[in-house]
Amino acid sequence: MSAVSSATETSLTGEVIAAKKQARFALARKTIVTPILLSLLLIAITLITVMTGSRPFNQTVIDVLVRVIFVVGLYIFIGNSGVLSFGHIGFTCLGAYAAAWLTINPIMKSSALPGLPDWLLQTRLIYWQAAILAALFAGVAALIFGKVLMRLSGIAASIATFAVLAMINTIYSNWDSVTGGTSSVVGIPIIRTIWPYLIGAVAAIFIAWAHAISRSGLALRAARDEPTAAAASGVDIPKERLVAFVVSGAVMGLGGALMAHSIGVVTPDTFYLSLTFITLSMLVVGGMGSLSGGVIGVVLLSALIQALRWMEGGVSLGDATFALPKGIQEIALGVIMIVILALRPSGLMGNREITLTRSNRNT
Amino acid sequence: MSHLSAENVSVAFAGLKALSAVDLQITPGRISGLIGPNGAGKTTLVNVLTGFQTPSEGAVKLDGEALIGLKPHQVRRRGIARTFQGGRLFRDLPVVDNLEVTGVGLGMSRRAAIAEAEAMLDWIGIASLSSRIAGTLPYTDERRVAIGRALMGRPAYILLDEPAAGMSGPESKELSALIRRIANDLGCGVLLIEHNVGLVLGLCEHIVVLDSGAIIEEGPPASIRDSEKVRHAYMGTAANTDLPVLEVME
Ligand SMILES: Nc1ncnc2c1ncn2[C@@H]1O[C@H](COP(=O)(O)OP(=O)(O)OP(=O)(O)O)[C@@H](O)[C@H]1O
Ligand SMILES: [Mg+2]
Repeated sequence: MSAVSSATETSLTGEVIAAKKQARFALARKTIVTPILLSLLLIAITLITVMTGSRPFNQTVIDVLVRVIFVVGLYIFIGNSGVLSFGHIGFTCLGAYAAAWLTINPIMKSSALPGLPDWLLQTRLIYWQAAILAALFAGVAALIFGKVLMRLSGIAASIATFAVLAMINTIYSNWDSVTGGTSSVVGIPIIRTIWPYLIGAVAAIFIAWAHAISRSGLALRAARDEPTAAAASGVDIPKERLVAFVVSGAVMGLGGALMAHSIGVVTPDTFYLSLTFITLSMLVVGGMGSLSGGVIGVVLLSALIQALRWMEGGVSLGDATFALPKGIQEIALGVIMIVILALRPSGLMGNREITLTRSNRNT
Repeated sequence: MSHLSAENVSVAFAGLKALSAVDLQITPGRISGLIGPNGAGKTTLVNVLTGFQTPSEGAVKLDGEALIGLKPHQVRRRGIARTFQGGRLFRDLPVVDNLEVTGVGLGMSRRAAIAEAEAMLDWIGIASLSSRIAGTLPYTDERRVAIGRALMGRPAYILLDEPAAGMSGPESKELSALIRRIANDLGCGVLLIEHNVGLVLGLCEHIVVLDSGAIIEEGPPASIRDSEKVRHAYMGTAANTDLPVLEVME
C-alpha cells in the first residue's frame, strides 16, 4: 500500500515526530475525565459521610461503594460485550470466601472450616492483601469458566452464565468442610472505616476505563454492535470477550472480598439471586452501555432504596405515622426498572459518558 | 504467482444449491468481476472465500495452500478483506474508529491504528469525515468508509459486495476511480460484485457470471457483453441497451 504507507512515513518525519509523541497519550487524556469525575462524585459522597459522623450512614455509604464495584465489574463485561451475564455474582461469592479463608483467625478457622488445606489454615493476611488475592482467584475462575462460555453466543451464553452462578452456589452450599455449607462463616475481620471501600470503588472505575480504552475494549465494542463486520476486520471475538470476562470477574472478586469485610459474615445465599437482581437493575437503570451509567445507576438507586427503607420503618408526619409495607423496596425497584426499560431502553445515561464538555459517546 | 482461488466450490442450504462447482481466481493488482441476477450466489461465494461459510464441497486456496477451517478473523489476518452488502459500519463509532478496529484486529497498537486510519481516509479522499459518527453518514460515504475499513493493514485481496448499490451516476464514477486506484496503486487483487453491469464491464479484466449457483459464462468484458446467455440470465433487460453504459439496478 505504497500511497498510504508513504503518507504515514512522511508524517513521521521532521517536526511532526514531536506531535506524534504527544499524541501517544492523547487517547488517555481525552477520556480520563470520565473516571476522574466519577471518582470525584464518590469522594464527595464519602467526605460528606465522614463529616456527618453518623454510624448507620457510614455503613450505608460503604454498601453503596461496594455496589459500585459490583456494577462496574458487571459493566466491564456486559457493557462492552453486549452479552448479558447472570453469573457474575458467582465470582463475588468466590472473592468473599477467599477473603474469609485468608483473614479469619487460624484457631477459629480450623474448627469451623477443617477441610481447608493446612497452609491456608495457617495463613492470616491483612484484609487488603487478602482482597487482592481474592480478586486474582475470581479472575482465574473466570478464565476457566470463560474458556468454555465465550464459545457460546447471545442467549445461550447468557443462560450458561446463569448456570455458573447456580453451580458456584451449589458447591459453596454443600462443601461443608471448606465453606461451612449453608451456615454462616463468621469471624471475618470487619473494616468500619470507609476509605478502603472508596479506594476499591475508584480502582474498579479506573480498571474499567483502562479496559475500555484498550485495544481489546475497542474491538469488543465493535463486535457488540456488528459482530460480522468485526470478525471480517480481524477481531477474534471469543478472545476479546474472554479478556473482558476475566477482568470483570476479578473486579467482582475484589467487591466480594470487600463486602465480606463490611459485614463480617458470609453465606452462599448472600451472593445469589437477590444480589444478582439488584446489581443488574442498577446497571440497566443507569445504562449498561457506559461506565458513567453504571456508577450513576448505583448512586441513584441506592438513594432510592435507602429512602424506601426509611419509609418502611415508618415516617411520622405530625401525630400520624406512615409506614410502607415491607418488601416495597424490591417491588419499587422492579417497577422502576420496567419503566426505565420502556421509556429509555439504553438507561438514564443512554450509552453516554460524563465529561466536562458535554456527555460524550464512548469510544 | 500468488492468487486467491475458489476451487470446485459447492454450497447447499437445506436442499437449495446456492453454489455448484464454482471456480474463481483473483490475482493481486487485477480487478475481477462477479455478476449475476439476485440470488445467483454471489454473496455466498464471498462468504466462502472469507471463512463465513464452509463449503459442502471444494476448497479455497491462497497461493495454492488450502484455507481449511479458518475463522473469518483468521482469513482477514491472512490478507483477505471484504465489504458487506449494506455497509455494516460500527454505527456508534466515529469514522476513524471504524478503520481503527481493523488495525487493532490485525494486531496494531491503537496509536498505530489511528495513524494508519487517518492516512487511509486521506488516501480515499474522505479525511474530513474522520470524526463523524458512522451511523449519521449518507449512503455513499458509508460505502467509502467500509472500503477504507477493509483496506487497513494492506490486504492482498479485497472483495467488494455491491459497493455502488444506490449510487448516482457521478458517484459510481468516483467509486470506479477509487477501485482502479486500489488495484493499481495498492496492488490489491479486487473482486467486484455489482448489479451495475456497466461499472463492472468498464473496470474488470475478467468477469464471471453466476446464475442459480453455477457459472454460466466467463471471460473478458467484450465477450460478456456479447453473450446471449448473459442477456438471457438478466431476462432480456440487457438486450435492447448498449451494455457499457447500461445500468442494471436492483
Ligand atoms: N444462510 C442462508 N440460508 C439459506 N439460504 C440462503 C442463505 N444465504 C443465502 N441463501 C440463499 O442462497 C441463494 C444465493 O444467495 P446470495 O445471497 O449468495 O445471492 P446473491 O447473488 O448475493 O444475491 P443478491 O444479488 O440479491 O445479493 C439465495 O437463494 C438465497 O436465498
Ligand atoms: Mg448478495
